[in-house]
Order: sequence, then structure tokens, then C-alpha cells
Amino acid sequence: MNTRRIKFKLNGELVEVDVKPNELLLNVLREKFHLTGTKYSCGLGECGACTVLVDGEPVLACLTLAVDVDGKEVVTIEGLAKNGELDPIQKAFAEEGAIQCGFCTPGFIIITKALLSENPNPTEEEIREYIRGNLCRCTGYVNIVKAIKRASEYYRQNLK
Amino acid sequence: MISVIEGFTFIGKRIPRKDAELKVTGKAQFTSDIWLPGMLYGRILKSPYAHAIIRRIDTSEAERLGAVVITWKDVPNKLYNPRLVSIEEDTFKDWQILTNHPRFIGEPIAAVAAPSEEAAQRALEALRIEVEKVYKPILDPFESMMPGAPKIHEKILRGNTEITVENNVGATLEYSEGDVDKALREADVVIERKFKTNRRYHFTLEPRGAVCRPDPDGGITVWSTTQTIHNTKILISQLFDIPQSKVRVVKTYLGGGFGSSIHVNLVTLIAVALCLKARRPVKLILTREEDMMHDHVSYQMYFRVKAGAKRDGTLIAGEFENIMDIGAHQIQAYPLLGTALGWFVSLYKWRNIRYVGKAVYTNKVPACAFRGYGNPQVTWAVETVIDELAEELGIDPVEFRLKNYRGKGEIFWGQGPTVRSIIRSDGVPELMDVGRKWIGWDRRDRLPKTGRFRRGIGVARGFHTSGAGGPISGSVIDYTGAIIKVNEDGTIDYITALQDHGGGTIDAHVKIIAEELQVPPEKINVVPVDTSNTPYDVCTHASRGVYVGGEAARRAAQEIKRKIKELAMRYFEQEYKERPVNFEAIRIRYDPEVNDAVIYVEGTNMKITLSELAKLAWQKNWGTLIASVTYRSTVAPPSFTVYFVEVEVDTETGIVRPVRVFAGADMGTVVNPDLAAGQIHGGFMMGWSWATLEDTVYDPETGELLNKGLVIDYKIPTAQDAPKLKDFYVYFAHTYEPTGPYGAKGIGEAAANPVPAAIANAIANALGIRFYELPITPERILEALRKKEEG
Amino acid sequence: MTDVNIKPSIINYFNTRIIPIDFEYFEPKTLNEALELLSKFGKEAKILAGGTDLLVQMKIRRKTPKYVINIKKIPELVFIRMSNEAIHIGAATKLRMLEKSEYVRKYYQALYEAVRSMASVQIRNMGTIGGNLCNASPAADTAPPLMIYEAKLKLKSKRGERVVPITEFFKGPGITVCEPDELLLEIVIPKPPTERFGSKFIKIARTSMDLAKVNVAVALKIGSDMKSIEDVKIALGSVAPTPIRAYSAEEFLKGKEFNEENIKKAAEIASAETKPITDVRSTAWYRKEVAKVIVRDALSEAYRRAMG
Repeated sequence: MNTRRIKFKLNGELVEVDVKPNELLLNVLREKFHLTGTKYSCGLGECGACTVLVDGEPVLACLTLAVDVDGKEVVTIEGLAKNGELDPIQKAFAEEGAIQCGFCTPGFIIITKALLSENPNPTEEEIREYIRGNLCRCTGYVNIVKAIKRASEYYRQNLK
Repeated sequence: MISVIEGFTFIGKRIPRKDAELKVTGKAQFTSDIWLPGMLYGRILKSPYAHAIIRRIDTSEAERLGAVVITWKDVPNKLYNPRLVSIEEDTFKDWQILTNHPRFIGEPIAAVAAPSEEAAQRALEALRIEVEKVYKPILDPFESMMPGAPKIHEKILRGNTEITVENNVGATLEYSEGDVDKALREADVVIERKFKTNRRYHFTLEPRGAVCRPDPDGGITVWSTTQTIHNTKILISQLFDIPQSKVRVVKTYLGGGFGSSIHVNLVTLIAVALCLKARRPVKLILTREEDMMHDHVSYQMYFRVKAGAKRDGTLIAGEFENIMDIGAHQIQAYPLLGTALGWFVSLYKWRNIRYVGKAVYTNKVPACAFRGYGNPQVTWAVETVIDELAEELGIDPVEFRLKNYRGKGEIFWGQGPTVRSIIRSDGVPELMDVGRKWIGWDRRDRLPKTGRFRRGIGVARGFHTSGAGGPISGSVIDYTGAIIKVNEDGTIDYITALQDHGGGTIDAHVKIIAEELQVPPEKINVVPVDTSNTPYDVCTHASRGVYVGGEAARRAAQEIKRKIKELAMRYFEQEYKERPVNFEAIRIRYDPEVNDAVIYVEGTNMKITLSELAKLAWQKNWGTLIASVTYRSTVAPPSFTVYFVEVEVDTETGIVRPVRVFAGADMGTVVNPDLAAGQIHGGFMMGWSWATLEDTVYDPETGELLNKGLVIDYKIPTAQDAPKLKDFYVYFAHTYEPTGPYGAKGIGEAAANPVPAAIANAIANALGIRFYELPITPERILEALRKKEEG
Repeated sequence: MTDVNIKPSIINYFNTRIIPIDFEYFEPKTLNEALELLSKFGKEAKILAGGTDLLVQMKIRRKTPKYVINIKKIPELVFIRMSNEAIHIGAATKLRMLEKSEYVRKYYQALYEAVRSMASVQIRNMGTIGGNLCNASPAADTAPPLMIYEAKLKLKSKRGERVVPITEFFKGPGITVCEPDELLLEIVIPKPPTERFGSKFIKIARTSMDLAKVNVAVALKIGSDMKSIEDVKIALGSVAPTPIRAYSAEEFLKGKEFNEENIKKAAEIASAETKPITDVRSTAWYRKEVAKVIVRDALSEAYRRAMG
């Protein structure tokens, strides 16, 4: 199998890496770039733990071939905090007790980022529909929904 | 009852958890995130047959591909049990690390390691299995028990004694108190019911795994998904004959436990074996399908409950038969027989009891503890029977429960017959009172019971122990330890082996230490640890994290406090040249202006901050402020939970949805309000899922899971399936547990235990139909409705 | 204990963490390039669109292509174009694009509802409508709406182009009429009537993120007398080896008055036309029973929408 060189923006930085066509973006991120925040949890697209942003859209890294992000912009959980300052979503999750074991947390934060980019003031129903592709076994989703609401407030405050 | 200690400085405050920043930035390192130079990736060869004898495995092709290969011939041939919570004599051993006699599909028979996962997968597929014999799998425990049924196990060990397994029964337990038959004769009402629970998969978001590295001194370092680093160390040491001091098990973040890692996961031992052969680091993480297919599942239980009561509503008899389908190997079957009895006995005052319990082998994935350890199942059966008795007697189900439950002042069985204590805190009356008002209990029979959409309200009351301690040392090992030391700048290091699998127990400990020392939580550092630098802790299970671990932390902090005061006294005497200060007059309090603990003498201007004192101690060669505690609790008090659930059933599709939920919890002092509420939220959704969605079903011919381990067909609820925020009310009772740190008790399992029962009772109230098999799926509901209509 | 003939499990060939097979990978930039490759490799090649079906199947060895052709870079396959008569959707158009299209939402309500019911935002950002159709799962959620709107599919190969009505597209679970050298180009959906017309999609599943146990789409045109059924289309999924139209039920309803009794009867006829199986998700009996309920519910809602 021939390797290809792909070039893409990873958390704001231009990177280059050789990959085989059957390599998944998830494993390239975790193994080659040592960005282990994006998790493997089911590999079948059912749990959302591997959610990343590609060109601003939330997708599943476990079902994305690395070659498919050539020329694109990828943002992982590690790329959210700017200059050591947490993104308001990260703050909100911490403040609302929305984190327990923490394994699903990066996926939820990324999907929240996508949600608030599209819809800065979502209703509870809209939040629940948008995040239903992210599973959590610990929290029952209550504090997560609260955190997303708080995050949307923070965003709106910042925009003022 | 209002808490005795009012005005806490840190207890009960809403503070983001200490590891929040690491977790929200993706920097928290879980076992599967570990990467070491020269690391090999492991893959396990899983038995493709539910019951077979393997003649040999041809490893030549795999080795030619460059992989390191191990089969059962390359690992110690010792029978073991992966769970070391019970004492040796009560531990039933029937496992092998790798076997040539697999007894369930997925049982590890060999393993490979190679420089990449792809190479390892290729090597795995290059292994050739030569089968000696294949047996028809037994999948039903009743079939399995029948005389003449093929033997799944013949000789196993109990402790170090060989025992013969008869009729595939791995363990039995019987118990009786009083005269059940007489009581049943005298009862005015008798209800007898049979129940079948489901076989649920834990679905921790992190699949189980381990990384093992060989160290230059001949020892190994291990990272694994475990709820107990010390038991992992001990088992590895015992099996591989490495001294415990050379087995370092590192505490990592754990992506969920729920009981799936109370025992040492098989993958850990295989990773160690591969590492020892390869003399290189090995990473072995299960794929999701392996995690479900071959690693762990909950105990499936078949109950028969017979209960008798008098017309005035007094319970007088309880007969309980418990047949457990434990799968192909024992993990904690025998102890569970005892705990199931303990749950039964402690739920209500039966007055006369008879119990028969059997743990039966089948050719399925071995069962292990799952949040509640039998309590959700037993509570479902008991709360159903209690509901039916109340109905039969014409007594309000809430009143009937209040009249007969084991509450304050009663004797309570911790986790089985050898652990008894008196209940000292009990919030049940408060929870029942607040709950019934909030949910509108008295209007439940006026909710729509005809037409397409019908509604019902159900109540269920449950509990769980806080740990497994007891007054005498019995069958269960339960103790912990903590070390606290003060750094030379007044910051604090907290060292514990206790694992936090998400519930926030370590944060509670930090607050407890903070409260005791009057030091703000942000100055307390939770040290990353391993087994070489921590005192023994048995395991984070049995909801013991805060109650036992927190108390150990508090005692260590108490000792530090005493030492701080001693040093402060030295300072005051030197500094103020006063006559010796009265030790009792030295106080500590938190001063927000300096954000530090201030040690002072009441009524004088003598004071010093902790940071100043710590620096002084260093400069004056007064030594390190350090305390080390090993602690065993002598009681395991119950935390109580009461759920009132309103459901709506679409009688044309059988689909049930949660309308409103009241979750009442008596956990004593609530140390971490957000995380405690989080346990309740999570407990409810898990219970909802258990009651309505989850089951692992086997192909009767092959013994393979019908869903082949693929989560496409193992559903758990999403955020969109959960009740709305305004429809879910969490209420904490105002209680104080005198034996707990600052009055706290556990909550992790109590949060989920009564949920399936509450939902089942709600469905019964909506439809007038009871279900005695879980899960209560739309298919089953629709079928039952049709049968009822047809009359 | 006797020796028995039991098929061994293939679990050792699953690995959902990686793609456990090798393949040759192509990224054609034009339609012709793609067709050239298909013509060359035929059965041994698989089209990679969103990957949410193909990659899953590769991980569990259900599909093991030697050649994988990624068609996402072909502009001729990604579009949504409206004309007066129809909507034209490129096969590689992401489901999320359909969901966000005002036009789809306004005129093809059943399709909009179906897409929204599918999986998650992430999956819909990756999956394509063409992929959903060509994967040909009997549970495909886009199929029943396309059936009731009488969509037509344009297939193309080096040999030429042809148009296949959606009702003739599916042959069995995972099997379509697509030849090995053919590519699905475009889905053309005629514009539905604007007056006295309503359509509805309903899906029954275990959770909100699940494959359908049963799904149904109906389209209803009410006559100018405001009560008779001028035209009706009913399609069901997950109840037969392919998504189906309930022709007998449609026949029964055409020309009749829209009332509770007729709707109930039609739903029963539709249910009788189904051939569901019992599988890990549900039972045959349940699917037949619930088909009755949701056909009836969908018709009622479609009527409400038709009447404004």
C-alpha cells in the first residue's frame, strides 16, 4: 500500500505527515501527533467520543480516512484553549460539574463548539437534539446540558 | 435532621473538580493514551467457540511476520480469580491467563504483539487454531444445573483447596431466620412471584486495557484500567512470581468503572505476559467489540420471591430464591450470593426469612459486579412485590413502605451476613414526604388510564452501603490508607491509592482535608501515584470512596493538624517569649484575605499562616509535617434513595417515556453538591436504560452474542432520550451520619439501585400490567397490552 | 460430550479501531476519472462517499474491497439544484446539506424529517444521500420519502446513462440494480403539488440515535372537494428485504373519503403487505403491529398538512 503525504492545518498550525490510505484520522492524531484528547470508544460512529472539527464541521475521526483531510483544517480538543486560556465552553463544563470520568468530555466540548457556532442561543430541545450523537454513561446529560447553556451565555457576553 | 456542624468553610461548596482542566483540555491521560518508546501493540486471540478444547495453535506464520506470540504454554499455569476483595478462603479460582479449554466465545487463548496495531492484527489473523473438540454450549442456567448436563468446570480451587463442581453450580448459600413456613401460613396475604433480570453490559466509555513496561531492575510498571491498583499489583505478583515491590501499578485516569474493573481485567495479565516475553513495553487495549463480547457483563438473576403480610400491613415473612447465571467463570459469585441476601434482608423487616442462592455456570461471558452489585435486581423484585402486597391490602404503597422498611435504629446488614450495624441516619421519611408532594402522588390514579397515552406514577425506595467495613474481620477485605504532607510553602500533598472513576470521590477528600486544615482546596495537590508510594486501598467500589477514603483523609489531616499546632506552639513560644501557650488554645481557621490557614491563639495577637509556618519549619530543621494513616471502617451505613417516577406509555407502540422524576437522596452531608447530583442524574439514566433498553442476547446454537459485540445493537440513552431539566428534581435529605467524615455517606450505587423498580411500578400504575422480565421493551409492553385486551 | 458442527465466530477478524485491510486508494477529480476506474475494477472496487457505512463494514470484514474510490472531490456529484419541475440532488451531497436546505424543508417535508431523524449531526456531516441509497439497507431512512415522492435515480457508467425509478432501485438487503461499473449520479425528485398536499415521515427506534425498527413515509393529495383522496403514496422501511411501497393500501385509499375508518383499514392493508423479520432490534410481530399505527399516524398528519 502506497503512503501519501498529506498537508493540513492542525489546531492552527500547518502540518505534514505521511499516511497510508487505510489509516484513520483518529489514529494519526493520537499516534503520530500524540494528541490523545480525541478518543477511541466504539469505532462505529455510535458514541461521538472521537468528534473533531474538519473545516469547522463536527465529524467522527474514527470513520474519517486521514487522506480525506488533506488541504483542510482540523481542530481537536487540544486546539480550543488559546494561549493557555480556556475556551468558555471548557470553563462552563468545569463550573457546572458536567465532567465525571472525563472520557466523553472532549467529544462533547467539540460538538458544543460546533453547535454554538451555528446556533448561539439554542433551546434545551435544540441542545439535546444536536448532542445526541455523543454518549455519556456517567452524567445522565443533565449537567452537560446546563454547561452548554452557560457556555452560550458566556459567548453572548463576549460578543457584546 | 439538620447537620450538626453548620457553617462549613469548604464542605458543600460548589467548586470545579480538581482534574477539570486536564479533562476539558484533553490532557488527562487515560491508559489508552499512554505511549512509550519502543512500544508494541498487543492483540488477543479469542476463542471462536463457546466451549472447546484446543489441540494447538500454529504460531509459525505470526512469528514469521515478526510478532511476539504467547499461548497458554507461555504463561503461568495457575488457577486464579481476578478479584482479590474476598479473603483467600472465600475466593473461588477457575480462571487461567490463557487457556486451551475456552468456555465462552472470546476467552483468550493466545496473544500477539507487534510494532503497530495493523501488524498485530495481521499476526493475529495468521494464527491457526487446531481444535481437538467442540462442545454444544449451555446457555441456560436451569439446563446447566440438570443432572447429566455437560460439565463446564470439573475441579476448581477454593482458596488453595481443590473442590469438585457438581451440576455446574459454582457456589451456593443458604440462610434462614425464624420460621418462614409458619409465618406464611399465618399471613393474611401472600404474594409469590418469579423474576428474570437482563444481562447488562457496563459500557464504560473507555474500553478496558493495559500498558506494561519492563524495568531495568527486573520489575515491571503497569498502567491499566483498574479500580484497584494494589490488587492489580498483588495478583500480578502472585501469578508471575515477581515480588510486589517490583510491580509498580500506576494510577491513571479511568474512563468509567461501574464494577467492570473491581477485578483485574484479563487484558492486564495478558499485557504483562507479552511484555515479559518481548522484554519491551506492550500496549493492549480492547476494541469495543472485545470489551463487550469477551470481557464482562452483569450477573443475570432469576428470582422467586414469596412474601406474607398481615391485614394491618405488617410484613411477616420473606422467602427469596436466587439463581444467578454467572457465565463461564467466577469473579465474585459466592460473595454476591451473600450480598444479595444482605440487600433482601436490609430492605424490609421481613421478620422471618429463608434464602437459597445458587451461582450457576453457563458458556457465556463471565459476569461481574455492576453498579449496585445485585442491589438493583433485588430491589426491583422486592419493590414489585411490596407494591403488589400494598395493593392487595388496600394500603397506600408509600405508607406500606414506611411501616416496614429498615430505618433508623434498626439492625442493618452491610453487604452480607457477617456485616451488621445499627442505622444511625435515615432520611427516608423526609424523602417520601417531599417526593410524594412534588410528583403529585395522590393524583396518580386520576392520571389517564385509558386511551392511547396512559400515565402512571411509581415509587421505589432503595439503599446501598457505604463501603464494606465491619466490626470484625470477615469475608471481605476493606481498608484504605492516606498520606498527607505539607510542602515547605504550605501547600499540601495528598497521597492515596483510591481511584476516582469519575464520581468525584477524590474531590470530596480534598474538601474534607481542606475543611480539617482550613486550607483552601486549590492548595491541596492530589499526587499522581502508584503502588510503590501509597498505602494499600482495597478498591473503589461498594460506594466507599467518600465514606471510607474520605474518613482516612480526614484522620490523616487531623494528625497533620495536631503537628501543625505543635510546631505553631514552638513558634509562639520562641517568637512571643511567653510562658508556654496552652495547646488547647491554639486554633486554625481559613482567612480569605491571605487565602491560607491561619494558626492563632484565641484572645491574643499570636498568629502565623501555614505557609509561614511551613517555611519556618524548613529553615529551623523542625522536620516534615507528614501523617500516614491506614484505616478500616467498622460500619457500612446505608445511604437511602427514593424515586418517584411518572411515565407515559403510548399503548399503540408500547413506547415509554419519562415524564417527571423525583430523585431523593439521603447521603448525609453532601460534600460535592454538583458531583453528588451528577451521580443521581447518571444513576437515573442508567437505571432507565437497564429497565427499558439493555440486554445481551445469545445465539442458542453457537453461544455468540447476537449483536457480535457491536454497539450498533447495544443501545444506551442519548441526551435526547432523557427527561427535560425542569422535569428532573434532585433533593437531598437533611441528615448527618455520625460515623462518616463530616457526616457524609456514599451515593454512587444508591443513586441507581431503586430506579428500575420505580419505573416498573410506574408502568404498572399506568397500564395495570406488571412485568416480571427485564428489560421492559415496547415489544413486551405491546404484547402484554394485547393479551390483556383479549381478556 | 459429543462433537458438534458449530460455526466458529469471526470475532478475531473484527477490529473497529483500525481498518484491518489494505486497499488501493483513488481520489478522482472528475466524473470521467471515476467512471474509468469503475469500469476497470468493477466488483473489486467500492465507492467511498461519507464512509459511515463502508468503513464500518470494512472494520467488521463485511466488505473487503481491493480498490476504494473516494468520490467526494468530484464537483459534479455535490449539488442541490431547484427547477420548476423538480429538485436535483447530487449523489455525494451530504445529508446535512439536505437538512439545511430551505427548499427541502418546505417542499419535501418527509425527506427533511427523515434526514433529521438519522443518527447524529456528525454522521450527517459525513454521510451522503447517495451513500444511504446505495448501501441499500432495508432500514435506510431516505428511501421511504424518496419512494413517496417518486424520485428517479440517474446512474452512469462508461457505457452510458440510465434513469431508474427509486421503486425499482432496491433488489435486496445491500443490493441495488447498480452494475459494478455504474455510479449513482443524481437523484431527481419531482416537485409535489403545492395545494392540498401533505407528506409525513415517522420512525420507530430504540433510542433517538438508532436504526429504524420500522419507518414510514406517506404523501397525500386531497381532491378539490376537500375530503376525498385524490392520490396517496405509502412507503415503509425495515419491514421487508427492501424498502417497499404499500401498493394495495394505496389502491384501497384512492378515491375514497379521508376518514378514520378508511385510514385504519388502509394501515392494516399496508401492514399485511410487509414481510418483517425478527432480529436483534425488534420482532416481526411488533413491526407488523406498529406499521399499522404509524401508517395511520402519518396519514393523519399528512392530511392536516394538506388541509393547511
